[in-house]
Amino acid sequence: MLSIKNLDAFYGKLHVLWDVSLELGNECVGIFGPNGAGKTTLINCIVGLVKPQGGTVEFDNKTLLNQETFQIIRSGIAVVPQERELFPLMTAAENLEAGSAYIPAAHAKRKERLEFIFSIFPVLKLKSSLPAAVLSGGEQRMLTIARALMAYPKLLILDEPSTGLQPSLTTDLFLRLKQIRQSEGISILIAEQNVRQCLKAIDRGYVIENGKIVLQATAANLADNDYIRKSYLGL
Amino acid sequence: MQIVSKLRERRYQAILGAIIMAVIILAVKPEVLLEGIQRSSLYAVIALPMALILGIVGIINLAHGDFMMLGSYMAYWFAVKSGLDPLLAMIPAMLAFFLIGILTFYALIKPVLGSQELNQLLLTFGLGLVLEEAANLSFTSAPLKLSVPYVSASLTIGDLTFGTFEFVYVLAAMLVFYIISLFLKKTRIGRAARAVGQNPKGAKLVGIDVNKTYLIIFSLSIAIIGTIGVLFAMRHSVFPVMGAPYTMKSFCLIAMAGIGNITGILWYSALLGVSESIITAIPGAAGWADLVFFALIVGAILIRSYQQRVK
Ligand SMILES: Nc1ncnc2c1ncn2[C@@H]1O[C@H](COP(=O)(O)OP(=O)(O)O)[C@@H](O)[C@H]1O
Ligand SMILES: [Mg+2]
Repeated sequence: MLSIKNLDAFYGKLHVLWDVSLELGNECVGIFGPNGAGKTTLINCIVGLVKPQGGTVEFDNKTLLNQETFQIIRSGIAVVPQERELFPLMTAAENLEAGSAYIPAAHAKRKERLEFIFSIFPVLKLKSSLPAAVLSGGEQRMLTIARALMAYPKLLILDEPSTGLQPSLTTDLFLRLKQIRQSEGISILIAEQNVRQCLKAIDRGYVIENGKIVLQATAANLADNDYIRKSYLGL
Repeated sequence: MQIVSKLRERRYQAILGAIIMAVIILAVKPEVLLEGIQRSSLYAVIALPMALILGIVGIINLAHGDFMMLGSYMAYWFAVKSGLDPLLAMIPAMLAFFLIGILTFYALIKPVLGSQELNQLLLTFGLGLVLEEAANLSFTSAPLKLSVPYVSASLTIGDLTFGTFEFVYVLAAMLVFYIISLFLKKTRIGRAARAVGQNPKGAKLVGIDVNKTYLIIFSLSIAIIGTIGVLFAMRHSVFPVMGAPYTMKSFCLIAMAGIGNITGILWYSALLGVSESIITAIPGAAGWADLVFFALIVGAILIRSYQQRVK
């Protein structure tokens, strides 16, 4: 469904992604790597916020490289950005509404979706009439995830979703993602530094360091890999 | 008890203060209050579209008043060429300025959207100068005056006499405010515009066509200000640099209200308009009216810095 081949990306003269290739079918895939490895840049290349210098990005066999971000989003990709990117003066409810308003198919089914979202994140229902800016960091993170779910995406991309969440919520979040993936059959791509927790949710994972993919394996193999155990799991 | 507790809130204190002041002025010199309200409405209706552009497109349009000036010349041109009543000329003017807005957006605004603020300021400032010079070359700098008989109508109640035509500004301000608020709250494009104003990247990520939103908001605002220019020409003289002071005042009203605060513009316009009217009414002090504006800005900025320091 998502196919990235030989991607090269730059910021000015800084070469950030080196010949990155990644395939994602109907599955949950992780991208692991330290700060500055290029995870966010890779995601931004997928959704058109960064234009790569070389390589291809295809979604459902159509290239995304000549499309604008809003078109890519409307074609069925939803993003939970690292910096949240909420609408601070709008209420939580209005932020959720915005998640589906510009995607016709999702807009028609927004009522059911809202109920579902309030059932997994009850705190959002409680605070639905408050401006997003006054929610706590963790609540804003949940709101961002919920806003992305409002779009009924075929592919959900999450950029370090566990940042700012307390540990019990993080465990819960990855569990939920796994459930949503199973019940709706959507594909998920997660960039994370919290490898230990994330491994429970994913089928396969890639490790990216200094802009290069250095390893790819199934979740079980990653958990057993000596390098991963030493560098990412602290074992 | 409830009233007492409400009075602790600053908002209600301000409203109460405004009401007390209005009652005093109304008792002593009612025509001053009426004139002040008319003047305030004019300020508000001019500032609102500029606020829309700044709040959503993120551009300080220093050519704002010059688009109004173009609208005024268009009213004059319509009146001379076709004898069209300016009130009716507002309709074709609105369409024409919507198109002018689209052209300006593609030719000048879109290329500088991601650029530094200084570049954007210089660009719109330069555009304003070009428009003024173009008007100067086409119509000379001599003030033009439309002769529309009904604009000088006045009403006398008891020993109170006031102009009635100026109430169209009050009507226009209310209408523009109401339509803009409704548009931003209720329509799909309006909601998208609010999202874009608060977070353009977030807006892209929920599937909003941000550039189209900029185009619509910019063109709409230019359509409004051009149409206001037509209305303005009915009561005021028309000359190339007539718009510049209104750009200044609008910008300062927006700064005082805070970017994105449409309702605040009404309040600050009222403060500015009524204060100016009071000063103008004091014998021998009329010349000082322009200073009110500077005093208000300095005051507002001082108060805001003080509040920030206290926090
Ligand atoms: N907007 C930008 N301009 C210039 N350099 C950037 C920008 N964003 C990221 N970088 C650089 O690109 C590299 C990869 O960053 P990023 O993709 O954010 O990594 P990660 O998400 O894995 O932490 C880093 O060296 C970072 O400093
Ligand atoms: Mg990142």
